[in-house]
Amino acid sequence: MSGVGPTVGPGILPGAVPGASAMPDAPSASGAAIRATGIVKHFGHIQALRGVSIAVHAGEIVALVGDNGAGKSTLAKVICGSLQADDGQISFWDRPVAIQSITHAHELGLYTVYQDLAQAPDLTVAENFYLGRELYRAGALGRLGILDRRRMQGETRTALDHLGIRLKTISAPVRELSGGQRQALAVARATAWATTGLILDEPTAALGTRQTGMVYEAIEAAAGRGLAVLVISHDIPRVLGAAHRVAVMRHGLVIADLAAAETNVDEVIGLMLGSSRVPGA
Amino acid sequence: MSGVSEPVVNEVAEAPAEFEPEVRSLTAFERLTRSTAFWIGTALLGMVIVFGLISPDNAFVRPSNLLTIGLNAAQIMILAVGMTYLIGAGQLDLSVGSNLILCSVFSAQAVVALAGSPEQVVSGEYPNLPFAVVVAVLVALLTGGLFGLVNAILVTRLHITSFIVTLATGGIGLGIALVRTGGGNVSYIPRELQLAFGSAKLFDLVPVPLVVAGIIAGFLWAVMRLTGFGLRTVAIGSSREAAVRAGVAVDRHLVKLFVMMGLLVGIAGLLDVARFATTNVAGHQTDALAAIAAVVIGGSSLFGGVASVGGTILGTLIPVSLATGLVIMRVESFYQLIAVGIILILAVYWDQRRRSGMS
Repeated sequence: MSGVGPTVGPGILPGAVPGASAMPDAPSASGAAIRATGIVKHFGHIQALRGVSIAVHAGEIVALVGDNGAGKSTLAKVICGSLQADDGQISFWDRPVAIQSITHAHELGLYTVYQDLAQAPDLTVAENFYLGRELYRAGALGRLGILDRRRMQGETRTALDHLGIRLKTISAPVRELSGGQRQALAVARATAWATTGLILDEPTAALGTRQTGMVYEAIEAAAGRGLAVLVISHDIPRVLGAAHRVAVMRHGLVIADLAAAETNVDEVIGLMLGSSRVPGA
Repeated sequence: MSGVSEPVVNEVAEAPAEFEPEVRSLTAFERLTRSTAFWIGTALLGMVIVFGLISPDNAFVRPSNLLTIGLNAAQIMILAVGMTYLIGAGQLDLSVGSNLILCSVFSAQAVVALAGSPEQVVSGEYPNLPFAVVVAVLVALLTGGLFGLVNAILVTRLHITSFIVTLATGGIGLGIALVRTGGGNVSYIPRELQLAFGSAKLFDLVPVPLVVAGIIAGFLWAVMRLTGFGLRTVAIGSSREAAVRAGVAVDRHLVKLFVMMGLLVGIAGLLDVARFATTNVAGHQTDALAAIAAVVIGGSSLFGGVASVGGTILGTLIPVSLATGLVIMRVESFYQLIAVGIILILAVYWDQRRRSGMS
């Protein structure tokens, strides 16, 4: 944001902010990294969320599924700060938070990856990675706002390597990358800056099978680094393969919270559409 | 909790290579030939060589002639460098010509009003000239900067596109200038301004206005290439949404760019008064378009996201070189307008083809 001054490196890099790389064994290993309780959201007469609750633990991937209009995106928007809930409570690491905006959520360590690839296509991979948190040269040059491009490129490379994303060059404009590479870069960027969790809203909607695989590997690596990951997707088979738990939404509520290993595509779709009974209900 | 094992990550990391586009680092030569500035520079050099060879006594390539070309390009160069930042950020400023007139009128009136009593000024005596010049410089910068600030506020607060905003404020600014002067020019501007500045030469060689333009252009070239300010400028032009989401204070940045443009216009307005010892309220109609043409010829994208200050500097020299060359060849310089129009179309067409070929 500010023009000058030292900038903190990405959280997953060696020697980065304390608390970021140490997140897997973070304060409350017993509690949830992200917990939303009793969230209510109205749009006029329409009740989009009717007291919904969900929790995502550190290192866990939770798939949020549901039919159109079930309230998935609204819930994600409330958690990531772009919508304010009418009622309910959100906690990060068991500490109640009142998230004012997307920027505020960033400060709290929660980043969102969007469907529409929020990147500047003319900027290079490294420039996009560091946009808004540029690294400056040491000393007087840095105070003049001179960028440290060498370090930005080197650390971008390191961060991508950690997530298993191999690009031949990081000095190419992002427009020259494939859709999968760009979305993987977006996940890597969010992973690097996030200290609490990631929300991904249909991260692979526009991608082919192989590119989708690349993005999910990056998502799994992000969880492997101790972030709480919430993925919204219509691609039930794919998201079921990556997630630890599946939260099924219908009519503004999470009606089922299942271990991914103990359910299957048919059961999940049945629950989404209301043709299967909720287990244990 | 975390079910991710390292081998899985590595496996996918290597697998997609053959399915992904070949994006690799460029060699230095490839980077050079990809830059529009390089080709514009080559064209300019070719033009200089051809005119140098065919002009009588090689008059075109004499240092004095080349420096005069630089002098004649100085004002547009200052405007075009500022315009490079705005265009890089996806904005336009069509009001620079009117703003320039307004700055030159206000600062000229300040000089005439403050340099001496009305009787003294009419008889060509300016006892308070130094003080008057200092005030005039401040007036020009303040006028230009405020004009830019008004543009910025209209663009960022009312969310009107800068094309329309600056089209409108351009008309308003010119109107104010003409109202202030009754449609004429400011008289009794001291010739000392010309002698000490406008037609002065550094080391008896380099015209002072060219030195000013060169320093400004060089500084802003470095800012664009090296700083976070330059990076955020093109980031906004490339994807405003991405810049917002990355936490760039987009509106505040745009305000800075429009105000910077205004300050540069103020400097160009001062150069105008100092060079010609008069205002030119009937001129400058094409300044904005000349600046935009120089920016686009220089390889910046009119849609934002790509900005080359170096290309712009070369782009401002092409029209002036053509005009001067044609004069030396005793061809009517009006052909310059035709030639520049053709170059503009060729440059943009070629640039589009190269860019689409890249991706």
